[in-house]
Amino acid sequence: MNRRTILKLLGAAPVSWWLNRASAQATATVKFSELYGRVTVRGVEYSSKLKALSGQKVTMSGYMAPPLKPKLDFFVLTREPMATCPFCTTAADWPADIVLVIMPDGKELEPSVRGLTVTGRLDVGVKKDDETGFVSLVRLYADRVQSA
Amino acid sequence: MKKILMTALLLSASASAAKLQVYPYDGAQFVPGQHFDLRIEAEDVKDFKDAVITLDGKAVTGLVKTTSKDTSVEWTVRAQSLGVGTHTLSVTFTDAGGPVTKTAKWTVAATRPEGFQSLFYKPKAKNVILFIADGLGWNTVNAAKLVAYPYNPANGTPTGKLAMETGLSSMATVTTSSFDSALADSANTASSIATGQKIQVNALNVYPDNTADTLDNPRVETITAMLKRSMGKSVGLVSSAFGTDATPAAFASYTRRRGDYQAIADQYFKGDVKPDVLLIGGSRDFIPSTAPGSRRKDTTDWIDGSQKLGYQFVSTRTELNAATGSKLFGLFNIDNIPSYLDRAQYKGKETLGDFTDMPFLWDSTKKAVETLDKNPNGFFLMVEAGMVDKYEHPLDWQRAVWDVLELDKAVAWAKDYAKTHPDTLILVTADHAHSLSVYGGYDATKGPGKREAVGVYEKAGFPTYGDQRDANGFPLPETSRTYAVGFAATPDYCETYLGRPQFLDPTVSNGKTGAEAGFVPNPKICAEGAVQRIGNLDPASAQGVHTADPLPLFAFGPGAENFSGVIDQTEIFFGIARAMGLDARTNK
Repeated sequence: MNRRTILKLLGAAPVSWWLNRASAQATATVKFSELYGRVTVRGVEYSSKLKALSGQKVTMSGYMAPPLKPKLDFFVLTREPMATCPFCTTAADWPADIVLVIMPDGKELEPSVRGLTVTGRLDVGVKKDDETGFVSLVRLYADRVQSA
Repeated sequence: MKKILMTALLLSASASAAKLQVYPYDGAQFVPGQHFDLRIEAEDVKDFKDAVITLDGKAVTGLVKTTSKDTSVEWTVRAQSLGVGTHTLSVTFTDAGGPVTKTAKWTVAATRPEGFQSLFYKPKAKNVILFIADGLGWNTVNAAKLVAYPYNPANGTPTGKLAMETGLSSMATVTTSSFDSALADSANTASSIATGQKIQVNALNVYPDNTADTLDNPRVETITAMLKRSMGKSVGLVSSAFGTDATPAAFASYTRRRGDYQAIADQYFKGDVKPDVLLIGGSRDFIPSTAPGSRRKDTTDWIDGSQKLGYQFVSTRTELNAATGSKLFGLFNIDNIPSYLDRAQYKGKETLGDFTDMPFLWDSTKKAVETLDKNPNGFFLMVEAGMVDKYEHPLDWQRAVWDVLELDKAVAWAKDYAKTHPDTLILVTADHAHSLSVYGGYDATKGPGKREAVGVYEKAGFPTYGDQRDANGFPLPETSRTYAVGFAATPDYCETYLGRPQFLDPTVSNGKTGAEAGFVPNPKICAEGAVQRIGNLDPASAQGVHTADPLPLFAFGPGAENFSGVIDQTEIFFGIARAMGLDARTNK
């Protein structure tokens, strides 16, 4: 098995769908260290770069947090590999710099421990997922997920 | 007909009887006047008939009867209390399954002389400063001493001791356990110190109950609440962990689930303790949900709210040291306050972020005491080195041990304070242990992860800590010869023997879920150069665990004689009550 196929997409999307979508426009790269401006005891301020790119297509690299289920329509991207599952415990000492990645409708991903590069639409702001109760500050609506 | 009747009677008698639970549990001990909620639960009930509930032979009044499900009946009456002596609660319960009885015996021991002698009584300790290092087993204390005071390489003699080990008035070894397990967590162990009870793992100062609501469990009053209520003392809580974490929470809140962070934060300002000084990390539980980074689910803002209640709010070391308020609320990080090494030596931008002016534990201790001792009635201050445990869990012994050194400097300050305030009792102890052990020396010049660089017995040599020191006079973990330190209970992980400037989890998810979910050694640590070790914990374990190993208790000053020998953790509560002469039957 090719290492890239570990991240094979489930569902019926042809490979060309990915190529077409991915090559449609040049994307900015966002690093984890660039997510926030100031972090104070009063909360987190988004960086001006993040605010400027909100709604646009960006690329981020990181690691998948311990997943909730075997087929993922969403997952958490972290700066470092982590042992903490954000959905499994309310007591998690969870870092602030995480990104929720939402897979396209009908597309699911298999869990991975490899570094990942995600390309998708950046969405910024406090948002609570009604199903899991998970509160995210930064989201990527993924077009494309590759092993880094 | 007679035969049929007999059969019916037999059937009735053999039907399974209801199961009764009584809280406080049988064998519970209290100080006089300590409030507790009485709760009686009957399960597997069929056609409830009646129940007779007596305390010392008299019917208990004020009980509220509920049926939380079809097959249960409960009675609750809150805020009960007892005088000195042995007390018996009896329940005789009858339903279709027949009568069931249950008794619970409770003991209330005097904490000060009764009767005529009370006229001449003066409590020994007016103030108590209780230091708790989370996860400070005997071996962790010793590792800190070995680092701070390496043996003289000329002859192997000691070069010094920690402040917490020096000039003791008394000393004890403390054992821990939970209401529902031989092993313990930080919530129930801190609760044992706060209330003198055995408490369930993950619970804070409450007994079990049969409802899903984690905030309605029967409560037992904390020492801090009693000291405020009956003696008018001030209370301060200091922690380097996030502020709603179990240890500080145990001294000012009640919940079945330590993860009720929002409720704990609210109880700090609305509960029965309302600490006068609260200097902590973890602002995310105190800022409104509309602020990015908040962990709250409502728009309550305790930074603003606290100031309306008369607290001075501070968020940096500079502001703290300049504070003059009579009540102080300090939040110094959005999360845990990073380790001493991160704050004072490594100073990594990725770790500290914008939090570049955080207090040391000795700053917070000093300001807390200066604020609290304005109260002529005295004070109780709990100071937690909360991050010792948080770095022992991920097997990062350097960060854990240097946080003990930070604590020790706070203890040294408190001992100095007690010289001019001799009515102050100082206690230094822990909530539970970790499996840390110093087993050899390590030749750090050979780099990380070399088994052949481990020296044992005479080859351990003398580690060279202290050849370089930081601005506070603490040694650096980076030195040519270090200690080899490990943990007995681990997941699979990569052992490098050396620390690292940026913290890394020892394991990462294996990417699997459900029954296959597990953890593998963090590849980044393995890549540093490491010995890959097979773990001995359940494969679902991501990190090290608490142990049942004993803890030290070091005592200084008046009332220290209440803490000696081998004691159960709950005895710390009663020792403090005796030292302070706490009798909670009266309100001040």
